[in-house]
Amino acid sequence: MITRRIYRALDARLGTTSIGRTALAKVFPDHWTFMFGEIALYAFMALLLTGTYLTLFFEPSTSETVYDGAYQPLDGSKVSSAFASTVALSFDVRAGLLIRQAHHWAALLFVAAIVVHMLRVFFTGAFRRPRELNWVVGVTMLALALLNGFTGYSMPDDLLSGTGLRIIYSTVLSIPVVGSWIATLAFGGEFPTPETTPRLYISHVLIVPGIFLALISVHLLMIIRQKHSQFPGPGRREHNVVGSRLWPAYAVRSVSLLTGVFAVVFALGGLVQINPVWIYGPFHPAKATSPAQPDWYVAWGDGALRLFPPIEFHVFGHLVPAPFLPAVGVGTVTFLLLYAWPWLERWRTGDKASHQILQRPRESPGRVAVGAYALTFFAVLLVTAADDIIARLTRIPVTGLLRTLQILVLVLPFVVAAVAFFTARALRAGTATSLGELTREDLHAGLSGRSIDRRPDDEPEERIRLWRNPDDTWRWRWYGPGEELSSNEAFLDRQEALDAAKTAFPGVRVEQDEPPEGVVLPPPQHKPGPATKAAAALVWVAMAVLGRRADRRTPSRSEASE
Amino acid sequence: MTDQPSAPRRGHRMLAAAAGLGVLGLPLAAPAPSPSPSASPLPAPPTGPDRGTVLYQQSCASCHGQRGEGTQRGPSLADVGPASVDFQLSTGRMPLSKEGKPNVHQDAVFSESDIRALVQHVASFPPGGGPPIPVVGGGSTPSGRELYLTYCSACHSAAGVGATLNNGRIAPSLFEATPTQIGEAVRVGPGLMPAFPPDVLSDEEVDDVAAYVGVLQDDRGELDRGGWPLGRLGPFTEGVVAWVFGLTIVLLLARRLGSRAR
Ligand code: HEC
Ligand code: HEC
Ligand code: HEM
Repeated sequence: MITRRIYRALDARLGTTSIGRTALAKVFPDHWTFMFGEIALYAFMALLLTGTYLTLFFEPSTSETVYDGAYQPLDGSKVSSAFASTVALSFDVRAGLLIRQAHHWAALLFVAAIVVHMLRVFFTGAFRRPRELNWVVGVTMLALALLNGFTGYSMPDDLLSGTGLRIIYSTVLSIPVVGSWIATLAFGGEFPTPETTPRLYISHVLIVPGIFLALISVHLLMIIRQKHSQFPGPGRREHNVVGSRLWPAYAVRSVSLLTGVFAVVFALGGLVQINPVWIYGPFHPAKATSPAQPDWYVAWGDGALRLFPPIEFHVFGHLVPAPFLPAVGVGTVTFLLLYAWPWLERWRTGDKASHQILQRPRESPGRVAVGAYALTFFAVLLVTAADDIIARLTRIPVTGLLRTLQILVLVLPFVVAAVAFFTARALRAGTATSLGELTREDLHAGLSGRSIDRRPDDEPEERIRLWRNPDDTWRWRWYGPGEELSSNEAFLDRQEALDAAKTAFPGVRVEQDEPPEGVVLPPPQHKPGPATKAAAALVWVAMAVLGRRADRRTPSRSEASE
Repeated sequence: MTDQPSAPRRGHRMLAAAAGLGVLGLPLAAPAPSPSPSASPLPAPPTGPDRGTVLYQQSCASCHGQRGEGTQRGPSLADVGPASVDFQLSTGRMPLSKEGKPNVHQDAVFSESDIRALVQHVASFPPGGGPPIPVVGGGSTPSGRELYLTYCSACHSAAGVGATLNNGRIAPSLFEATPTQIGEAVRVGPGLMPAFPPDVLSDEEVDDVAAYVGVLQDDRGELDRGGWPLGRLGPFTEGVVAWVFGLTIVLLLARRLGSRAR
């Protein structure tokens, strides 16, 4: 009764009903890769929730205090408030460790989801006009995510994060001219100083999350305004969106995904230990621990520092110290390229048109090659950041390993890029839907570049589209000027369907496609795909390992009681 | 620290040690290969005064010389001291074999009493001297934690899992060492490890360090209260788990939800 009154009052003033109706009827295209951005969004929500709980107990100060709590080996020790409160969060605050670990796992997932989301946007050309601005917003959010992850990681004032802070401090200092000014601003003086932790804190919980909220709003508003792009398919044109409505179909899916992300974050937070600062101990300039790595999303910088020969040089009389090229240089160049990519590509292809239909990656082999290059390059850097661990596990001496990685970082990206390039061209040349279906002629065409001269603009009058249904049967549909005709039979394999289509309409070009909307089919069977099988295998191995650990513990207990 | 050492956590270490012994042709069922946790100062071996001499002639003299003067194949033992000999023997590092990996904690080849006999025999070489076998136990963990993070964690890692040193050599994990062996290692400085004489770490401080290493060795969940410790290897393994378990599961879920929509 009251709610209805309030609702009417609001509606009269704000027009909620019509806004709401349009919003609920909004159509989102269906493709599972369009959900990557949502995963990042939900991880961010998890970060906000858990982070807010942490602020209730975390003390962002390096003033000395005496830890007095359940962690016996630290009990009565003088440490900084930041460190003491983090250990207290882990041992003495109810649910503190769960929330702290969930926060950290959510941070790792958050950045990973952003990266995967960005790869989808990149390889499908979704950043092309009119969406360049949203690409820029997205790249900014990636940079901010790295920054906030790093500040969060550095706040507890433990030995590992202090080591990281020291490296970043010297890296910032290495920037010519402005370096020492930025360092003073960010760290509040010469490292280590008590000013640093409060500054990190304000930036971590207030400034950057605030900017994030604003940018996420802009990002989503732009998507709503510009509509979502979609993959090519029957009925999907440059000027429409084919998919599910926000309410109920898409909303239900989103809520399931939200629940899934939170479930994973809290399961990891409860079951898998992350950043046990009580083991690392408080930061002290004279102490060190190893192996020491930063979180994965900044580890590439660490890897670059380890790989790059220490080169110092002078520019206009300023000494540029050794960390500059690998740490500042790699990051700056990468982000500049990311920002500029939509315009770089337009300049290269001359394609100024507005696009609502996405490309399949294979349609732009050059872009695939660039992406593959960058991914491989950063993968090698990430591996390098763990060189000491790998050296230990493989018993290869570190120096030899580093030499190998130095060669790999130069060579491997080119090799992978070339393979990706030719594979994309081979896929584009033939009708194969996946790598497994590539024929020898396709590969040949990919290598020789035969299909390059096939222009997209001389679309034939008539064509036949062939698709695979979710139940693995095949059908085709003929499109003529103003007319369409479906095969009235489903075929058991692709060749049969192809033959039938060719007999019915000789000489018409056949394309392979996604199944069209509205075709009633028996419910698809879900055979476990390779990814599911791999996941199942992983879980199995994990259970076996845990089981063995448990087995091994039992005798050690009985020994002790003897 | 009167606990028995917890069973070795690394299964492959055990296997490697067993394989090493197998290659050596030593009987695998040899006298119970338990590392000696006892810290008693050398009483005479019950098996007669010659036992040490005989064992030394059999297993050591070929490399270290008849009177421990050293040969081309092994250094002089004349002044290493009982702590060094007990450490090398009880951690299975000696007798060195061609095939066995050097400098790795393995099951001891000799029984406790044989080790005592050998230690006594080597101690009789002139000129003698060197650190005695320390008596270790009952330290305080808070002080030990601080000392450990000051003196040991740079090489052995804060978590005690060991680490790669700058020159590519490895500082081993401390999960298998007994308190006595810890005290011996600290005083003797085996291999690449520096020795910490009593004016750097007093006897009480060594007790404290050993007590804290005991906390690190505890695999019953008190230290790793966050859950699965991932080998305590730090952010690298955490990143791998975030991608392989975390993101992959979420992506599979998205995949399923996405394909529902068709
Ligand atoms: C195959 C040759 C060989 C045999 C057999 C051998 N050792 Fe050694 N021993 C070595 C070598 C080589 C070193 C130096 C190892 C190093 O520096 O890592 C060494 C080092 C030592 C040390 C440490 C010396 C120091 O300066 O700290 C002791 C103690 C020792 N051996 C005792 C023994 C005893 C006791 C035996 C007999 C049970 C034995 N070794 C058998 C080759 C041998
Ligand atoms: C410079 C690096 C370095 C430092 C510092 C150091 N160690 Fe070591 N430690 C080593 C190396 C290398 C070995 C392997 C010795 C060998 O070659 O046999 C070792 C071996 C040991 C072992 C024998 C492990 C086993 O089970 O076989 C113990 C115990 C040990 N260290 C304890 C300590 C303690 C306690 C401290 C701190 C007081 C410490 N170490 C400091 C490098 C170091
Ligand atoms: C972009 C989003 C964020 C990222 C990537 C991020 C990341 C991190 C990381 C990696 C840590 C270290 C955790 C640890 O000690 O293991 C951390 C700590 C912390 N974060 Fe965040 N965080 C984010 C947002 C937030 C927000 C929005 C808040 C508060 C409203 C917050 C509050 C805190 C607090 C108080 C700590 C210190 C507690 C501790 O170290 O245990 N974070 N953050």
